[in-house]
Amino acid sequence: MAGIKDLGVGIGWRSEIDLTVERLPGVDFVEVVAENLHIGHLPESVTLLLERGIPVLPHAVSLSLGGADEVDLHRVEHLGAIAEAVGAPMVSDHVCFVRAGGLDSGHLMPVPRTRDALDVLVANVKLAQANLPVPLALENVAALLEWPDGELSEGQFLAELVERTDCWLLVDVANLYANARNIGTDPERFLDEIPLERLAYVHVAGGEQHGDIYHDTHAHAVLPEVLEVLDELCSRVAPPGVLLERDDNYPSDAEIESELTAIRAVVDKHRD
Amino acid sequence: MTEIVNKTNLSSARERLAAQQAELLNALLADGPAPAGFDEQRLAVERRALLSKRRGIVRMLGPAVADELGDRFRPLFDAYAVVYPRRAGSRAREDAAAFAEWCRAAGELPEKRKARWKFWRSN
Amino acid sequence: MAAPTADRGTRVPPEQIGYLAGGPGRAAETALARLMDAGLVRVAREGWVSTVHETELGETTAVETSILLRLSKPVRFDSVVRQAAKSPEMRALHQHLRARRLTRNARPRLAVWWLFLVIGVVLGLAAFLEPWTLFGAAGFLGIAFWTYGAKPLTRAGREALLRVDTGNRVLAVAVEGFRGRIGNRPVGDHFGLPQSVVKTLPRKGKQQRRRARSGAASSAAGCGAGCGASSCGSSSSCSSGGGSSCGGGGGGCGGGGGGD
Repeated sequence: MAGIKDLGVGIGWRSEIDLTVERLPGVDFVEVVAENLHIGHLPESVTLLLERGIPVLPHAVSLSLGGADEVDLHRVEHLGAIAEAVGAPMVSDHVCFVRAGGLDSGHLMPVPRTRDALDVLVANVKLAQANLPVPLALENVAALLEWPDGELSEGQFLAELVERTDCWLLVDVANLYANARNIGTDPERFLDEIPLERLAYVHVAGGEQHGDIYHDTHAHAVLPEVLEVLDELCSRVAPPGVLLERDDNYPSDAEIESELTAIRAVVDKHRD
Repeated sequence: MTEIVNKTNLSSARERLAAQQAELLNALLADGPAPAGFDEQRLAVERRALLSKRRGIVRMLGPAVADELGDRFRPLFDAYAVVYPRRAGSRAREDAAAFAEWCRAAGELPEKRKARWKFWRSN
Repeated sequence: MAAPTADRGTRVPPEQIGYLAGGPGRAAETALARLMDAGLVRVAREGWVSTVHETELGETTAVETSILLRLSKPVRFDSVVRQAAKSPEMRALHQHLRARRLTRNARPRLAVWWLFLVIGVVLGLAAFLEPWTLFGAAGFLGIAFWTYGAKPLTRAGREALLRVDTGNRVLAVAVEGFRGRIGNRPVGDHFGLPQSVVKTLPRKGKQQRRRARSGAASSAAGCGAGCGASSCGSSSSCSSGGGSSCGGGGGGCGGGGGGD
């Protein structure tokens, strides 16, 4: 797949830290939250990054592809239009549902790992793919609770999703860590089960332990344990890209830079 | 023929999934009964997490209202949120506006806020 | 809340240099520049200023602290400067400068001040013939002195401005403002600020013209609008519409607890 190879190390572009993203050394690519951008007036900072030749990948949070409802094609269209506006090689969203029964959770909720849920997800993903100008990658989410009666492991669920839709995978190692802590998923088994050759890129993010629950906040530092999961992943496959997500409580430029450096060190360790 | 069978299969799968997901969100967002098979404690953790995320967004979008309410913001928002879960298709800004309106109706905020903007001043 | 850093030595700290060079607005710019320099706040391309999370505060001045306290949510660059310039902490800084005899009450120069001088001199000469005119001479010379006016900066204040190293980017803001230039380079560039953000501040020349019109101390360097009488009203705090983006419709990453 042309254009997906060798993205390098990147960071989630957010308007609050746009100048920081522009000035940080070693930002090879960025991701933008598609819902925050409007066609016709891209932020000046995004345009500037594009002029520098930095790939900008739209990341969606609202398609609700794992939801029981039919996919909202307006949202898919918007995502596709943003992808074309920034000349992105691919777009992404999550294996999750956001809305159900007329309510909006405001969050990325895990789907039950049942045959029913998988069939619906596959149908939704296929419809989205048919309406997108570029390939779609799907990301594993962090869950605080476990659906009962799961028929497949998370890895098996994603593997079958890839097999049936030919989508790409966006593996969030922080979510993998969160699920290991919170619902007992085994990250190694997960990595054994997913088709790593379909790995588009990797997300890394920070979080916080609260009692016996790990919260994937994107507002705290990246834990060393999360980098260990990244290390485990890199020992199996060289990821085409790794991206740091920070969404709140933005630290100093130096601190963000050191997180990027730490990520790069893990990736490079396995390159030699 | 198999196409038609798949389609009926899919739509009944959608129905079953819809019921499951709606039941879960109703429990998490609108104080509905806990769905069978879930860990009650985890439901409570998730409920708090979703509430706190929604509260944070409303605070960010309407800092003036949050400042005005001070310590009352959190309990008032939590009371509002469970009665008015966010509807699919609504926007976060509408949620913030609806909360402010709800506070005014409950007498927690003055009916019409003092005009703090003067037309000749941009700020 | 630390005392202004320069009280420790004889050196005048940047914020005070800013005040001496351009009044409360410039001092506010300088305080903001210092906070940026120390990595305590960051500015985004659209002009929103926000605090940097989880950093050691170090020593901050009262004006700097007041800026940080108002940044519980992002505030526009020009609003930060305007609010700081109007703050009670800034008035305290002005009092401090007067106490250190770096500034004084400025008096406008009357166009006809020389007339009093001439009359005074004439009466003084007349005193050789009529000694009682000496009283008149003294009176008119006094009036001449008064109407000659006074610059807002004392000699010490002017001297403090002479020894400023504008190679330091915070001091460059103090002397020239974010909109000024050092050499050929806009001062804002030293902070990586886009001109679109810098230009939200009032132009340097404009401030000076307004000052000239208002009559206080015409010539030379010193103090912008507001070294003289206390210029700004007491009520501050105009809220600025909290900015920053938020995902439309759907999920939104991270946050709260749990995330994507």
